[in-house]
Amino acid sequence: MFDVWKSVLNDIEKSVSSSNFSTWFNGISLISMDGGKVIIGTPNVFFKRQLESKFFDTIKQALLNNDIEVKSIEFEIVQADKKPKSKARTTIDQQNTISLPKIQKGDLSGSTTFDTGLNNAYRLDNFVVGSNNDLAVSVAKNVINSPGKRYNPFFLYGGPGLGKTHLVQAIGNELHKKDPNLKILYTPTNHFYSDFVTSIKKGKTDEFYKKFQKLDVLIVDDFQMIIGKDASQEQFFNIFNDLYNLNKQIIVTCDRLPEQLENIDKRLTSRLAMAGAIDLQMPSFEDRCAILKSMAEFLGEYIEDETIEFIAENVKTNIRDLEKELKTILALSDLKGVSPLNLIEGGYISVVSRAGGTKTVSPKKIVDKVAKYYNLSTKELKSKSRVFHIKNARQIAMFLLSKELSMSTNKIAVEVGVGDHSTVMNGIKRIENNLKTDFSLRDQLEEIKGLIYE
Amino acid sequence: MKFKIKQNKLSRALNTVSRVAAGSRTTLPILNNVLIFAEKNKVSLSTTNLDMAITEYLPERPEEEGKITVPARLLAEFVGNLPRDEEITIENKGTKVTISAGKYQSVINGADAEDFPTLPEINEKKAVKFTINVDDFKNGINKVIVASSNDLTRPALTGVYFNTFNNGLYVAATDGYRLAEKKLIEKVKDEVAVIIPANSLQEIMRSIYDDVDEIEILFDETQAIFRLGEIEIMSTLIDGSFPDYRQLIPKDNEIVLNLKKDEVLRITKLAALFAKEVGGSIVCEAKKNKFLISSVANEYGENSSEIETEVENSGKVTLNSKFLIDALNAVEEEEIKISFSSRITPVVVENQKSKDYVHIIMPLKS
Repeated sequence: MFDVWKSVLNDIEKSVSSSNFSTWFNGISLISMDGGKVIIGTPNVFFKRQLESKFFDTIKQALLNNDIEVKSIEFEIVQADKKPKSKARTTIDQQNTISLPKIQKGDLSGSTTFDTGLNNAYRLDNFVVGSNNDLAVSVAKNVINSPGKRYNPFFLYGGPGLGKTHLVQAIGNELHKKDPNLKILYTPTNHFYSDFVTSIKKGKTDEFYKKFQKLDVLIVDDFQMIIGKDASQEQFFNIFNDLYNLNKQIIVTCDRLPEQLENIDKRLTSRLAMAGAIDLQMPSFEDRCAILKSMAEFLGEYIEDETIEFIAENVKTNIRDLEKELKTILALSDLKGVSPLNLIEGGYISVVSRAGGTKTVSPKKIVDKVAKYYNLSTKELKSKSRVFHIKNARQIAMFLLSKELSMSTNKIAVEVGVGDHSTVMNGIKRIENNLKTDFSLRDQLEEIKGLIYE
Repeated sequence: MKFKIKQNKLSRALNTVSRVAAGSRTTLPILNNVLIFAEKNKVSLSTTNLDMAITEYLPERPEEEGKITVPARLLAEFVGNLPRDEEITIENKGTKVTISAGKYQSVINGADAEDFPTLPEINEKKAVKFTINVDDFKNGINKVIVASSNDLTRPALTGVYFNTFNNGLYVAATDGYRLAEKKLIEKVKDEVAVIIPANSLQEIMRSIYDDVDEIEILFDETQAIFRLGEIEIMSTLIDGSFPDYRQLIPKDNEIVLNLKKDEVLRITKLAALFAKEVGGSIVCEAKKNKFLISSVANEYGENSSEIETEVENSGKVTLNSKFLIDALNAVEEEEIKISFSSRITPVVVENQKSKDYVHIIMPLKS
């Protein structure tokens, strides 16, 4: 194709003045000419305009002279030395733009006048499935296939940044795709609350209520925000009952289990737990690597495995922080013009781990904070006592040392003053097992972590 | 074509537009010319260098319509040397352009306007439009353009990035070693993310007359148009991706110093004197309620100065003194804030009160 293009340029050169040729045709290239649709790349808008207005016929004639089928000629602006990477970026930018809620509204208006509040960047195909969330994803698929049936309400809980919002919005988007006529509403709980308050002020609570009554799918995010807002709870309870009785799908996310929501009407929490509560857990190292790879792919960036592993090792808080770290490394790499791996090897990486909020803590701090949390002295915690609450605190310290600092069991043994590493392994295992069923333990751990990282 | 115009008006316009034509690519001689276009109620003067184009509109009613191009420099200099307040008549017969004013007259060989490049136009309906106060614009651009790069191998860094974020319009520039960002407009409706060549912006800044209060900026995917009163400047955009820089601005640096700009500038300049043989590298250190800057020149000696200030943590960082001086000159307030964490986290230089400007510097490896 490019030999032909050379010959086309030769023909053009013969038919225009040499100064015109060297000015206007030196920087242009043939992008494609499939099916008679010729696309020509120009360096900037001046060239595009000039070629369109003054040299269109010259170019067309030269193409025809070389037996090229010409149905149309289009001019595009391409930078001569454009790297494939920036090309990929451009497409990403477009994706991001499309996902902006403002523009998305317009998109949906064609199919429904009902504003869903969903952001269509959250899809099921860009939600990375791992051992930490496979149960939640299979339930989500079940909801998509048969809304309002087996998993109604779908109660999804987990810590911040683990993908709750992504997953429930993905359900909403998939349902919308399946049936654009479904009336779906995604609302963060604080919006629900503020809309309700506004409706009271305007004396239009009936309208507020009716808006929800019409829904086929209601998605409420961050339900814990409703704590302390009694009137909103009452209203939500009524809406819940109406929709539930009509077999409409209800999806609720929360940072804790229904029964752990304090000061909330027990009738409401028991209804929320009716179909079981599914949790999202912190991804394992392997999951974190998979998530990072998928994020990089989504951003159109190639990243070495070493870099991915480095981030996965250093960020253990949540997926949001993983994304932040990854973007920071990419931005720094862009800015410095070197690859992410070179950044790490060049020692620039600690910039990144700081920005990611993973502060380093010492083993001593963890032990001290655990002891303090359980009203023990550090000495008591490290003692050989087999009294239950002391032993329990010791095992929690072991667990945190292992999870937060990735310390070896031998080193942990030294740190908490137990004889050998098998005691440590058993202790950690016990906490891990208890975590599966004991939700207050989960809360305790979160609180201790809060103390450690405050 | 024939029209009359006062010398001072024409001379000012020609001086402005001929700057763009002068020194342009030589492969196409007509790019050295100014296009004179006499329409119904106005006369316009345009030049281009194929990276940007400038047009100034003069509200003169021509006696005869028409258009022609003339070497811009020659015309500007001829008109510039005529007496002020003289009324000048410009008319053409074919490509011969006659300029006469009282007893002064010359005939310049012009070139057919058909050979002048067709200037791009913008679709106003599709374009994104912002209006900004001239002083805010000049101030904003001046404060970031200093950080832009002239390394042509990384074109995206040779411009200023106009972008919207959380409803605000921002400008940012970086050369990979430092980065400056300024909020231009508090609240805008439309969204934009384009890179404008620093050269174009410098030309725009030079072309703003004193009587202009507001600038209108229009963007589409391929160009930006700046309307400065009677002048319209069109610039190409740099086709590339600007680094996702917001990720890189540290939010919670460990060492935070509240300082007087003049004092920091003084000790930085002192240290810079001794830093010449080490490429301008100076060491900034915070300890025991002191901020110190030091430098060592093996041949000439060494320097160390300090400022007393409250500071909690201690630490030090090595910087290029030129970058620190640039940053200090760019922050507006007398009371400034400098913060850093470790030897590899960017140093942040900002105002203490206003939050709309931030300048970060990457430390040197020490």
